[in-house]
This record gives sequence, structure tokens and C-alpha cells, in this order.
Amino acid sequence: MKACARLSVECDSRGDSVVRELRSASPLTLMPRPAARTGGKHAVVHLVGSMTAPLGGDELDLRIRVGAGARLLLRGIAATLALPGHHPGGSRSSVHVEVDDGGTLEYLPEHTVLTRRAEHRAELRVELGARARMRCREILVLGRSGEVPGSLRTSTHVTRQGTPLLRQTLDPGDARRRASAGHLASARVVANEPMMWGSDPPAPVSGDWWSLVPLAAGGSVASAVAADAVTARRRLAEAVRGHPDGTELAKEHW
Amino acid sequence: MTTSGRLAMLALADARFPGGGHVHSGGLEEATHRGVVTRPEELREFLFGRLHGTGELAAVFAAAATHSAAGGAGRQYWLRFDAELDARTPSPAQRDASRAQGRGTARAGRVAWPSSALDELLAATARPHHATVLGVLLGGSGNGTPRDAAAVAAYLALSGSASAAVRLLGLDPFAANAAVTELGPELDRVAERAADTVGDDPADLPAPSAPALDLLAEAHQRHHREEVRLFAS
Amino acid sequence: MRAEHDHGHNHPVNFDPTVAEPDPFEPASAGDRPLRIGLGGPVGSGKTALTAALCRTLGAEIELGVVTNDIYTTEDADFLIKAGVLDADRIEAVQTGACPHTAIRDDITANLDAVERLQQRHPGVRLVLVESGGDNLTAVFSRGLADAQVFVVDVAGGDKVPRKGGPGVTTADLLVINKIDLAERVGADMEVMLSDAHRMRGELPVIAQSLTDTPRAPEVAAWVRQRLAAGAPAR
Repeated sequence: MKACARLSVECDSRGDSVVRELRSASPLTLMPRPAARTGGKHAVVHLVGSMTAPLGGDELDLRIRVGAGARLLLRGIAATLALPGHHPGGSRSSVHVEVDDGGTLEYLPEHTVLTRRAEHRAELRVELGARARMRCREILVLGRSGEVPGSLRTSTHVTRQGTPLLRQTLDPGDARRRASAGHLASARVVANEPMMWGSDPPAPVSGDWWSLVPLAAGGSVASAVAADAVTARRRLAEAVRGHPDGTELAKEHW
Repeated sequence: MTTSGRLAMLALADARFPGGGHVHSGGLEEATHRGVVTRPEELREFLFGRLHGTGELAAVFAAAATHSAAGGAGRQYWLRFDAELDARTPSPAQRDASRAQGRGTARAGRVAWPSSALDELLAATARPHHATVLGVLLGGSGNGTPRDAAAVAAYLALSGSASAAVRLLGLDPFAANAAVTELGPELDRVAERAADTVGDDPADLPAPSAPALDLLAEAHQRHHREEVRLFAS
Repeated sequence: MRAEHDHGHNHPVNFDPTVAEPDPFEPASAGDRPLRIGLGGPVGSGKTALTAALCRTLGAEIELGVVTNDIYTTEDADFLIKAGVLDADRIEAVQTGACPHTAIRDDITANLDAVERLQQRHPGVRLVLVESGGDNLTAVFSRGLADAQVFVVDVAGGDKVPRKGGPGVTTADLLVINKIDLAERVGADMEVMLSDAHRMRGELPVIAQSLTDTPRAPEVAAWVRQRLAAGAPAR
């Protein structure tokens, strides 16, 4: 199955963030919340997985644009289960994001669970304009409890006006690599949240298997690993709270 | 390859090369404090994971730098190259460790293998990343191929940690050495893959990561402030 | 790399006028960088106490900084800070990877970086004292790191130490025999120590001192002043 969904949010003449384009493509169903309930200053859209996906052979593409000065919260509703399918070549999902000058995006999907024999490739590309802000959460669960996960390659690219801020690919590989203290240290859950959010932490903050680090060219990343999703989320939240705007970011205020 | 070329590669990989590598454990010191590496087998597994994240990234950039240095890359290119490697190194502790070794290697390498390519790189940044310097020293002097540079970078990602394990844990040096050499076929594959990407634009080069190792690197710095760590990384 | 800095080649000249950054490895002309004096010697011989004494005596005359290689990095720095002889930002601690002799001799990168950091913070610094971690009698400073070096032994270590020789005792630019006030109590024969030291060292100077009796280390300070007057060698 191939699907391409689109979402575009812009600032109208009153300064409200309005959804200009919204094109769902099953299984990527986009459900906007009525402006009356959000107050209009920001748009809230829920991403609902409307079928069992991604399956092997699926190619899912989501394109998001946040116009100058606009604000969008895109939130996931349920965990995504990456499953093997009947088609060869594994499943692919890509999310392309553009945030224009002064725009804000919060992209907070639920976790992705990599099941046995799944072959999943995921890519997130974010291009930021001047003073644009964004946070994107990624929580990967490598197999359900007791399950040996399939294969995964997930890449994140964040650039601002052409300058690379963050590029990283996670390929947890085989059991040996996952078990290595020099790689994943037997973690089953890997959580990451790049935050290009105005101010950055002046110095790294870290704790037991989590950290919040300033990036070289601006922005920061909160990250955590854990044996289970609850612990990973708790550690990630702790890292996010270390941000200068941590109180605001930890609240998930919208 | 010329005879001097082989020597340059050997000298850069030598633990006696005075480029500052001996004060970096690459996360091993922190791993020993957590008790996750105590025996030679655990060291070998630590190194395996290190090779496939940090080692592979270093190999990719060392290979690409060799290629670009041989092709006469200028200051603007090296600025972009540097930014791309920074973007792939989210942990400030790892960036610092890489740049400290890069500067040390450049300091020593400049005396041994001066080249206009190295001057171009240092004009772009006084503290280049370690992998970049390794590549430029080999490529800029015509003394090595991208694959050589990749192999040296990947090997150095292992040998420093192995040496630290001997010093910190008193491991049997023969066992620690074997833990490195057992990864020979793995290292060859990493170097080969790295050499395959050399023509790519720096933005498109692979970006392998190792989340747990990044966290160990940050924890090392935090613990150094709280108690004492003998190694700089 | 050759140990001496009068290396026999020319660095390539960069003609690019847009290169604004100073060449990172091209120190300014002779005498324009601080003199680097290494202080080495066995554990407990009084290196840090001597460093503190020199800071106290010379600190008023000249801008100085200290690089410490102590195995437990902050220990010596804390001592100097608490002794009130030096501000914390004039002290750099080096992590030696559990190999203090390597860091001052075989691979001096971490120490050179520390000196550079001091210079960046204090461009006017004229003297850097590099204190080694306590090591054995074979540990000496590379000439690439220290322009001159002092080897510190003490009478409590036994009066046989100078006779045992080793590169520290025989080749250091200055040998200091510390804690001579304790000689009687530990049964050390000062005459033997001094004559052995001179026999092993030929013309090279030896100073016997007690920081209890002369807490400002006047003789060693005078030797450092001479070195300063001679200037730092060109690189």
C-alpha cells in the first residue's frame, strides 16, 4: 500500500493558526480538533492509524508544513505496530516537515513497536526557517515483551536554513549489537526528542541512562534508553525537564 | 600504495603515536564503573558495539576526508564537512573527545606529513574532528586510500578502549589484545562499506549512532565532576 | 617528533588573505610564549608543596599558571586553591589515562592542550609550572613539553635515591632534595645524598631545602628567575 497524507497550517490575518490543507490517506488519517476548542492560536491535529500498518510492502508518506508564525501540535493516538507483511521489501514510512520563519511544530507520535520479522525503515526530515521551533518525539520499542524484534533503520535529519543540526540513524541490528554496552546496552526501548526551541541548555544534563545535550549548531536532544517503555518515558521526561523551557515542554500544554 | 604510505597508516594506528589517544577510554571507564565490563569477553562485546556505532561513523568520515583531501578540497568544503560530523555527534562529551584527539593528531601529523590539504583543513577549524584529520593526513600526503583511513579510524575506536581496560581492570593484556583482533572480519566490513560512500556529498554520508554509548559518554563527564575519572573520555 | 623545538623545517606559508584565524600550531616568535617548567619526582616527595611555594614567591612578580597531572585530578588543584596561592582559573588539571609518565613524556598532547587553555584564559601568562603525577625514578618530561625540568626527591625516600640514578636524577635541569629537616629523624645521611647527587649529575645543579625552614623556596625561585631571564626558547 502506498499512501501520502498532507497537512499544512498557516497563520491567518487575525494571527490564528488555521489548517489550510488536510489530506488524509489511509492508513494516515488526520483529525483536526475544532478551533473553538483550541482557542485558535494553535492548530491541533490527531494522527490516527486507521488500519493495521505499516505492513511489509507499505510506503507511507506524511508531509507537514507550518507557515510563518503558525503553531501546530500533531499528536499520535495509539502506538504504531510495525509488522511483517505478505510483500517483500519491508515497510517504509517517511515524514517530511517544513517549519517557516517563526513557526512552531510539536510532533508527538506514540511509540513504534517493532515486532518479530518486521522490516521497517523510517525517516524524519525537518527543515526549519529562521526562529522556527520544533520538537519531535520518537520512542522505539524493539519487540514486545519477550519478543525478538525484526530489523529497523530509522533516520532523523534536522536542518535550519540548510545548516545541519542533527543527523542520526539508529540500526539496532542483531541481538549481539543490542546487547553490547558499547551500543544499546540491552535496552529494549530507545527514546529521543530533538528540541529546537529557542533557548538551549547551556551545558549537558544527564542521569541514569538519560541525557539532555546541546547540539553543536543549535538545538538540543533529550534521549533515554530503558528495558521498558514506562521507564523510558519517565527518563525522557526527566531529560526534557532539564531544558530551559522544560516546565513548558514537560506539560504538553495544549 | 607507496612504502611510505603503508608506514603512515601504521604509524597513525600505533598506540605510540603521540596524538593524545592514550587519555581516552571511549566510554570504557564509565562502563567499568557500572560493572558492565569486567572480563575480556565483555570487553570484546563492548568493542563490537562500539565498532558498529562510533567506529563506523569515524570510518565513514575518515574515508570521505581521505578522498576529498586527495581531490584538493578547500576551506569551505571542510567547514561543511565539520558541521556534518558535528550534526552526527549529539553528545558534547563525544564531540570534545573527537576534537581533542583531532587537534593532537594534527599537531603530531603536521610535523610528520605536512600537506596543503592539512593546511586547508586547519584554516577551516583549529580543532578538527579526529576522523577528519586521519583522513586528511593520509589523503593529503598521498599516503593512503579511503579504505586505509577507514580501517585506521575503526581500529583506533577499538584499541583505545582495549588499552584502557587493561589499565583500569588489570585485564590480561593478551586476552584484551585478542578481544580486538577477533573483530578483524567485522572491521574489514566496516572499512569496506565506509570506502563505498566516499563520493557522496557530506550531507548524505551515513550517520550511524549508538544511543547507550552516547549516554555513557555524558555520564563519564558528569561523574568526573562528582568524583574522579582517570580518562578524558 | 623531535623533542627540541628548533626543528629543521619550514612550515608552509598560507597566502590566503581570508584566513583570519591565527595558525593554530604556530606560536608567536621567541619569548612570546610562557616558559614551561616541569616538576617531576616520586609520590610524596613534595612536588605540590614546592609548586605552592613557587606560586607564593613568584606570583607577585610574574603572571603564572599551573598544570597538574595528579592521578586524582583535583587533589593538587584543591591544595593550591586552598593554600590561596593561585586562583582556580589559573590551574588546569590533566586526565592522564592512568599513565602519568606517558602524559608528560611519550604523548604530551593533553598537557599541551592544558597549557593552551591557560594561555587562552590568561594571554599574559609568562610562566607555566607543569607538575607531573607522582611516578618513579625513570619518569622525565619530554623537551617538547618542558623547557626546563626540576626533579624532586626527599630525604624520607631514603638516602640511596640519588645513587640509584635514573633519568630524573641524572638529567633534570635541577635536582631538589626536599625535607632536609627530617634527615636526622629518618636516618638519612645528607652528605652522602649530596655527594651522590653531584657525582651522578656532573655540572648540573642540586638544591637541598626544607619548606618547613624556608617556606618560600628562595633558592629554587632564584633558579626559576634565571630561567625566565634566559627566556623561552623559540619553537
